[in-house]
Amino acid sequence: MRFSCRDITFKYPDASNYVFKNLSFELTEPGFNALFGPSGVGKTSFAKIITGEIKEFSGEISTDSMKILLYSYNLERLPGWSSVGKHLEKIIPLSQKSKKDELVEAFGLKEFIGARFSQLSLGQQNRVNLIRYLLQDFQMLIMDESLANVDELTREKILLKIKDMFPQTFFLYISHNVIEVSKFCKQILVLRSAGKIPQVITVEGENYSTLQQVDKQKLEQTMLEVMNASS
Amino acid sequence: MLLHRRIYQFFIIYLMGVALLLLLKYSLNLSDYVIPSLIDIWHTGIDVFVRYFSDVMNTLSVAVVGQIVSLLLAFLIGITGRQATWFGSFIKVAAYNVQAYPIVAIAPIIFILLGDGIATRLLIAAMICYFPLLLSVLGIMAEPITEIEHFYKVTGRMRWQLEIKIRAFENLNKLTTVIAGSATLAMAGTIVAEFIAANAGIGYSIRVALYQSDLAKILIALFLIGMTLSVYQGLLEATGYAVRKGWARI
Repeated sequence: MRFSCRDITFKYPDASNYVFKNLSFELTEPGFNALFGPSGVGKTSFAKIITGEIKEFSGEISTDSMKILLYSYNLERLPGWSSVGKHLEKIIPLSQKSKKDELVEAFGLKEFIGARFSQLSLGQQNRVNLIRYLLQDFQMLIMDESLANVDELTREKILLKIKDMFPQTFFLYISHNVIEVSKFCKQILVLRSAGKIPQVITVEGENYSTLQQVDKQKLEQTMLEVMNASS
Repeated sequence: MLLHRRIYQFFIIYLMGVALLLLLKYSLNLSDYVIPSLIDIWHTGIDVFVRYFSDVMNTLSVAVVGQIVSLLLAFLIGITGRQATWFGSFIKVAAYNVQAYPIVAIAPIIFILLGDGIATRLLIAAMICYFPLLLSVLGIMAEPITEIEHFYKVTGRMRWQLEIKIRAFENLNKLTTVIAGSATLAMAGTIVAEFIAANAGIGYSIRVALYQSDLAKILIALFLIGMTLSVYQGLLEATGYAVRKGWARI
């Protein structure tokens, strides 16, 4: 399984400036990858192009055998007429039922499963939203700031759990946290503004997994590479 | 709570209106024939209360049925017209244009065609109530709740019933206000119809009182209309609150 984009060019209708011009990159194998870049550079637009929510672009997206590509973002809400637990029960495919409890536990949400979505904190809401996406049938999931408002320790626990549970799935994690993407991601796609050539630079991340010791020097080196690429 | 508030708000406005009339009467030294005294109003009230109350109930029953009919129709058309298709756009444009035409102006035609019976009153009440309702329902149903609907769309779970449920749930407050507000329109529509040509209802009684130049009777009719409408709207709001409480556990 591989994923590649070639010569993606896009601008919003009536806008004078291009968001992307001849953007190309390739993700060679499944894993936890990142899309990194300054605000306004087009990360969300790019995610929507990948998942087909934006269709008016030129260029080629090759998804290999991947059929279901999902995009989730941190402002999504669950309907308020039933509890989080009931909602999850209703929208989880039978094949994924066994994973639900494991994820709820790992995401620190066990005691909130009976609550309504609006009764949760922003961080808890984002975690619930992410769980329901993780329990769908998909080959690629784009997580747009999906762990915003979650404390660092819990975020780390969640990222490691996702990597453990879904090793053969493509993830594209959109984040502004350079330490996080450098530490946990396999490949980091650093997106730059449309005037820069190339518009995307791929940096190899440290791709840490559970129980692996952090090599601080290597991590700092990766962080520097990411920062240099984005500047 | 809502019911009490509605009733005392009406009382305040009604008493202010009567006080203003009395102020005019005594400052301009007008006769009891033009503006009756408080005693006259009281005696007229005792005389006509039972008859007028029955008339108001008659009018209210037509208004309630008219409101239900227009609500059903508004939801049916609003749900059909919510989509960004040519049919949806056509319905929206048609609704905006037709509602610009004063329904009262075509009321005489309806009386000529259908006579002065209950069907005509019902039709006019429903038509006056319908268009503002339709515009509100269309506005609510055509506005996507992206942050909730996105998940269902990308996972292929979105059905039209779910879309309507989400939009209705998210706009329950607005819908309750619109439905309670449309009660006034339905009542006004029925009274206008009765005033024009019908042979029953409080609008008809007001028309008779007008021909007799009996302001006291008109004031009693207004009092009963206002009280009845306040109670009805209060009940609608309380029902809306109960629905919200039950559905969303607020």
